[in-house]
Amino acid sequence: VQSPSAVQPPFDPVWLDQLADGCRRLRGSHPRFEDLYLERRLEIRVESGSELASVSSDGAAARWRFPSRWTMHASTGVCADAVAALVSRYADRLEVPPSAPLPRLDLDPPRGWADWAREIIARAPGKRAVIRYLARRAVVVRRDGWHHAVSPPLVRLETARHAGPALLSVWGHERLGRWIRALFEPPPSRPWSPPAGLTVPVLFTEGTAGAVLHELVAHLVEGDLVASGQSPLGGLGGAALTDAAIDLMDDPGRVDLPGAFTCDDEGVPAAAVALLRGGRLCGVLCDRETAEICGTRPGRGRRADWRYAPAPRLSNLVVPAGREDPRDMESGLTHGLVVTRLAGATIDPISGRTVLRVEQGFEVRHGRRHRSLDTFELTGGVTEILAGIDPAVGNDPTPDWRLGWCVKGGLPLPTGSEVPTVLVRRLEVL
Amino acid sequence: VTSATRTDADLGGRLDGAVADCGRRLDAASTERWEVFAKASVSRETEVVDGRLRRTLQVEESGIAVRVANAGRAGFAAASGLDRSAARAAVGNALAGAVPADDPMPPERLLGAAPVPDGPSLPARGWAQHVSGELAMALGSISDHRLRLDRAVVQEGRYAWRLVTAEGWSAGDERAVASALVDIVVGDGAGLWREWIHVADPERFDAEIVAARVGDRALLTRHRVTTDQGLHDVLLHPEVAAQLLAALSPLFLATRADRDPLPGLLDGDGLLAAFPLSLVDDRTDPAAPLVGPCDGEGLPARRTLLLDEGAPRHRVASYADARRFDEVPRGGALRVSYRDRPTTGFANLRVLTDDGMPAHELLGASDRTLYLLRPLAPVVCDLASDSYRLVASGVWLDRQRIRGWHPVVELTGGLGILLRRIEAVGTDLGWYQTAHGVVGSPSVLVRRQPVVG
Repeated sequence: VQSPSAVQPPFDPVWLDQLADGCRRLRGSHPRFEDLYLERRLEIRVESGSELASVSSDGAAARWRFPSRWTMHASTGVCADAVAALVSRYADRLEVPPSAPLPRLDLDPPRGWADWAREIIARAPGKRAVIRYLARRAVVVRRDGWHHAVSPPLVRLETARHAGPALLSVWGHERLGRWIRALFEPPPSRPWSPPAGLTVPVLFTEGTAGAVLHELVAHLVEGDLVASGQSPLGGLGGAALTDAAIDLMDDPGRVDLPGAFTCDDEGVPAAAVALLRGGRLCGVLCDRETAEICGTRPGRGRRADWRYAPAPRLSNLVVPAGREDPRDMESGLTHGLVVTRLAGATIDPISGRTVLRVEQGFEVRHGRRHRSLDTFELTGGVTEILAGIDPAVGNDPTPDWRLGWCVKGGLPLPTGSEVPTVLVRRLEVL
Repeated sequence: VTSATRTDADLGGRLDGAVADCGRRLDAASTERWEVFAKASVSRETEVVDGRLRRTLQVEESGIAVRVANAGRAGFAAASGLDRSAARAAVGNALAGAVPADDPMPPERLLGAAPVPDGPSLPARGWAQHVSGELAMALGSISDHRLRLDRAVVQEGRYAWRLVTAEGWSAGDERAVASALVDIVVGDGAGLWREWIHVADPERFDAEIVAARVGDRALLTRHRVTTDQGLHDVLLHPEVAAQLLAALSPLFLATRADRDPLPGLLDGDGLLAAFPLSLVDDRTDPAAPLVGPCDGEGLPARRTLLLDEGAPRHRVASYADARRFDEVPRGGALRVSYRDRPTTGFANLRVLTDDGMPAHELLGASDRTLYLLRPLAPVVCDLASDSYRLVASGVWLDRQRIRGWHPVVELTGGLGILLRRIEAVGTDLGWYQTAHGVVGSPSVLVRRQPVVG
């Protein structure tokens, strides 16, 4: 995994200095110039039975602020003329100097990546898979200067067996090969379907608790939901949500996880935000707009790409190691379920209930794995599930590689998590 | 063959210039066969919160995609923009990334442009705020102010495209599109109802009809909780039915014979579903979200009959898939954007409602019915094992009277049995976004399905 400090900006720094200087001196603006976002993206796709596809996309977006509203104009291209037209929309024409030619932008995958991808596809069940290499570089220009937003390049894998992305990882992660092998393992023969209505303790192992906390806590403390009063956790700041004294952080500085960035897409330098401290709710994830409403710091204004306005989104959820050996947690179950992989999670805002789709796991009887589980759903109320998290937390923080591709309001973004084994004392099988 | 195009001169000129530039570069590289697709779009998004304009977005996007087939190698690349650097990048990367593969492009004799009706015009500025206000008033009025429009995000846009091949064949089109996303607050602290609305023609947008359609469903969640289980008649709201159809839609994509689950789902008479269910994929329907003179590879647009009164008829396939799987090429290639290679996919998968029943008659067609209002998780159809699983919220109806709201209910069982117990479809067709594209469905009544409380 490449260190963000080693990455060069995608534009000539001198040109960016000139651009920031011009933005600082914009005249005639009725609305206030807020920021200019410049982005370069590259996606390389390798698909079984098909040619390699390369897609490059450049774009820019400028935002202004009126007293009661925002406006954003975006267009394809990052050449000087396109940028000048965007920035000058509500002001006197800004003369943007032509950008100096730069050495070839280092967005390309490393040599041999396509061969690696083809080899993976050849090992996929039925030799059917799609592998994508996703890279992006962005710069946010504000009146106070420009900020370089670096994210790690990602690899995304889709297979015929899984709906949607099956794996998302930072390219070069040391466990990537192991995760792909796990993904390609055949499903268990004669799996058992737990009966609907069964209420049991459920042990979320192998990082699957990350997806649970992503849905039950992190999405619900995103600034837009909190500011509009739609979050069931809104107004619970300082309250103990769970008996477990867990600390939950959202940390974009974890460059080994897919949600990493050096600054958000509004130019705020990356900093970890504590969401739970000792099980008590203590943080909100905000962009600049919702930070003003919620009275907190911004830093989570993320864009799906240059065509979209920033919105509050989480980055990487991290829970430090607890004290329990996960094997002891499992052996302590008289009867329960162990979840080793989740395929999805949703929350219904009307009823406040969540549905967790289990893809892989085991039934445990008297502390021993009794039989493999078929795919099924678990359900429960948001606050009830959080209250039912057992104080004993595993000592095995594990990255989740299955569900990092997070979609909110139809807009996908890479996110990550590293969470230890967590026991929920009571969940209902659907 | 060139279809009629109504692209404005400036944008049309830029699109033509871009495809011509690519063509020159490809010819200069002695490329045997190529295809260039260029697209440009302008979209406006207006967000109105509590009646006040909160945010506007205007996005202009353009890009070029190039497919090549040369000396037994095939390649694809796309680049943003319509200028020379975009053409250079798209052509260069397509040639450089070409790998040994069959020629994936259809022969010229199959290409053509079907006549399709003109689309609606782009609404005037201010339309988004106007319809948001109308919708807010109508929602309050039909619900006695128990429903409140919290937020409306109205999207309007116009796009134009060109498709040109090495043989000199070209086609193009220009259309306007509109849609809205509305967030409705259901009572005090009772949660938020979100609905996506396809606007076929902004000039004919009727806020009262839309408010009734959205509001009636949202209001049903205000009833006290009642649960039940067992074998019951089930009425699927169009959104639930659309998600179910999307989950089983892979049955209508061309596939390898030894991986085809369809034969295993048919009954002794060769039927997949009961006779009320007929499905088509129709790119020529002016009321549908995706309309155009040809598919993503230049085959003429048409209505493909997929399921005819319960009996499977045809399948959708791109040219390459049609050839690979011995299907007749019917124009089933979809370009999701200029960034995407044309692949097999549905343009507008929909249920035929010509013989449908009005929704109120469906509601009264059974003494005791579970009316499923909206899905709570992706509908899962295991086509290989002939099973399905549907998690939704719904209301229980006794002789059209509401007995209570069931917040989370599960239906599970045999997919073939479910489809063959379809008693009737409604006439209330609506379009919904799904994992398999936009699907149009009316309400669907199914007899005796196993319901888990």
